[in-house]
Amino acid sequence: MHVEFLGVSRDRAGIAEIDVEADTLGRLLGTLAARMPGLAELIVVDRLHPSLAANLNGDRFISDPETPIGDDDRVLILSADAGG
Amino acid sequence: MPFGYHGCYLRIDLSHNNVASRTGGGRVKQELVPLADTVLRQFIGGSGLGVRLLLDEGCAHLDALDPRAPLIFAFSPLVGSSLTTSAKFAVVSKSPLTDRINDSLASSGFAVAGKSCGCDAIVILGRAPEPSVLIIDDGQVRVESAADCAGMTCQATDTQLRSRLGNNFRIATIGPAGENGVRYATISHDGRHAGRGGSGAVMGAKNIKAIAVRGTQRTEWAHPREMVAISRDLSQRSFGPATAKYRELGTATNMLTFNRFGALPTRNFQSGAFDEAENLSAEQLGATRAKTRESCVTCTIGCEHLYATDNGAVRVEYESLFALGSLCGVGDADVVLRASQRCDELGLDTISTGGTVAFAMECVERGWLDAPWLMFGSGEALLRAIDEIGSREGLGRLLADGSRAAAHAIGHDSIAIAPQVKGLEMPGYEPRALQTMALGLAVGARGADHNRSGAYEVDFSDKVDRRHATLDSVRHAIDTEDRAALMDSLIICKFLRGVFDDFHGEMAAMLRSVTGWDVTPDELRDTAARIVAAKREFNLRAGWTPDEDTLPERFFDSPLPNDALAHLSRERLDALVAEYHRQRGW
Repeated sequence: MHVEFLGVSRDRAGIAEIDVEADTLGRLLGTLAARMPGLAELIVVDRLHPSLAANLNGDRFISDPETPIGDDDRVLILSADAGG
Repeated sequence: MPFGYHGCYLRIDLSHNNVASRTGGGRVKQELVPLADTVLRQFIGGSGLGVRLLLDEGCAHLDALDPRAPLIFAFSPLVGSSLTTSAKFAVVSKSPLTDRINDSLASSGFAVAGKSCGCDAIVILGRAPEPSVLIIDDGQVRVESAADCAGMTCQATDTQLRSRLGNNFRIATIGPAGENGVRYATISHDGRHAGRGGSGAVMGAKNIKAIAVRGTQRTEWAHPREMVAISRDLSQRSFGPATAKYRELGTATNMLTFNRFGALPTRNFQSGAFDEAENLSAEQLGATRAKTRESCVTCTIGCEHLYATDNGAVRVEYESLFALGSLCGVGDADVVLRASQRCDELGLDTISTGGTVAFAMECVERGWLDAPWLMFGSGEALLRAIDEIGSREGLGRLLADGSRAAAHAIGHDSIAIAPQVKGLEMPGYEPRALQTMALGLAVGARGADHNRSGAYEVDFSDKVDRRHATLDSVRHAIDTEDRAALMDSLIICKFLRGVFDDFHGEMAAMLRSVTGWDVTPDELRDTAARIVAAKREFNLRAGWTPDEDTLPERFFDSPLPNDALAHLSRERLDALVAEYHRQRGW
């Protein structure tokens, strides 16, 4: 699937977008933590630090590591405190 | 008297002012009024205490700019402590923009110096006979002429008065907008603003250009070692991931996030996506110009990001970028930074300024307003409009009273597209795309407001469907409103909110360490609800009716053009509001 980083996650990842192979949110986060050391402190095993949130295709927010993700999905990783 | 408080407020009547001379200073009527322990415990400080004092003054029926209407600066028990972000104060009055309650907060040394004058709040009544500086020197009050500051920007006034009075005074000023009675004028301190609702116009109506405070009177802490331990722990956590957004990028990083979700208000809320959002993003601003960071007194976060421009460093937040940028269709970062800086100089609320200008731009586009120069996307027009508003000249005569008043003057049912609730221009949250926030905006006591309702956080979570709010959304909206009321009364900066594992428990521990009260988390939940209810009580006395708790007509029954799923019906919002009132017990 395609991953988009917004805000702090983009800053830490050093890139805005990346393609990753994973079939669940937990496995996606594990892969990102391994590949991107800057993101590692914001990922606890297979979950995001509470300061970050994950969203599927701009529609619903997801947090359960077992949430299935398809090849055509887009996962957005953003700051949980989205406001001012 | 509990620890952390002086147990009294300073009540000043400017109408009893015999002389206002530049050199000697005129005396005014002043009295220290005791504050009962029960009142302090029930309303804590800041917004809560300010609203309670406003109710006690029995002034809700007065025009906000009537000299008899109070202007209140309320401190809190935490001010002066080592707790991070606690150097804050609330300015509370009736709003000249909404005719409803207004509580706006600002930060830094004014809070510490003001409380050091030996009071927990300052209540200002009356009107000075000429433009004046109100000086509170360790509790002794006098006024001096402000003739030499007339028409000066907020920053120039501060510089002028520091030169006159000495650097150890802390000064809150209004700019030309406050002097000219612009109904969304701010009160500025140290480059920050008590921004929303027009408290600067209230101060201007009292002929007070600036308030200068200094003092030596400290309060004692009930459990100083416990307080220091809490302070250290909180400061440590404030360096962690929960505040990384504010430290590393600032709120300007919201620009790209909101745009990605189709929730970035654009061209007077005609769209939720802005083609030029990238230009105004924290990421782009930081990549193309030098940046520095600043902090308020006692703050360990350092959220203020200042960007270098030809006119000096400019502090800018998401709300200013959205209001003066995408909302007006302006994507030139240099223009938007200058517009934000100009608002700061004139003492204008950037959100209401941008909202009112964007509304006027759409009226021009629709042929309802004859000002062909005022076009969406024109930076030149935006800057001209800001100057005309600040001086109440040209089109500024129409726009200085806000979008609601302008709509009534323009006609054509333009009120349907005026981006306001209760007269307060809406912040940067597209309500069709963020529907729990839509409720929060509709029911806010001071009008459409992101600082009194954090319901947008619920929309950006897995608790609700952000584009289809249900009755289950209501309890979440209430919870964020209550938390905000508590933080605004303690006062602790909301940018800390992510560091708390046990929000009410940790708030109670802070308050216990300072005051010695055996306060519990449940008591604080009740306190928060009481403060929200007190604001409503003021509004009721001022003439509030339930039909004010709604959104402008434009948001109903047509989805966002960029997102067909972002659709809000009037029936749905009405049901949410009714459920909100039911759960509040109103």
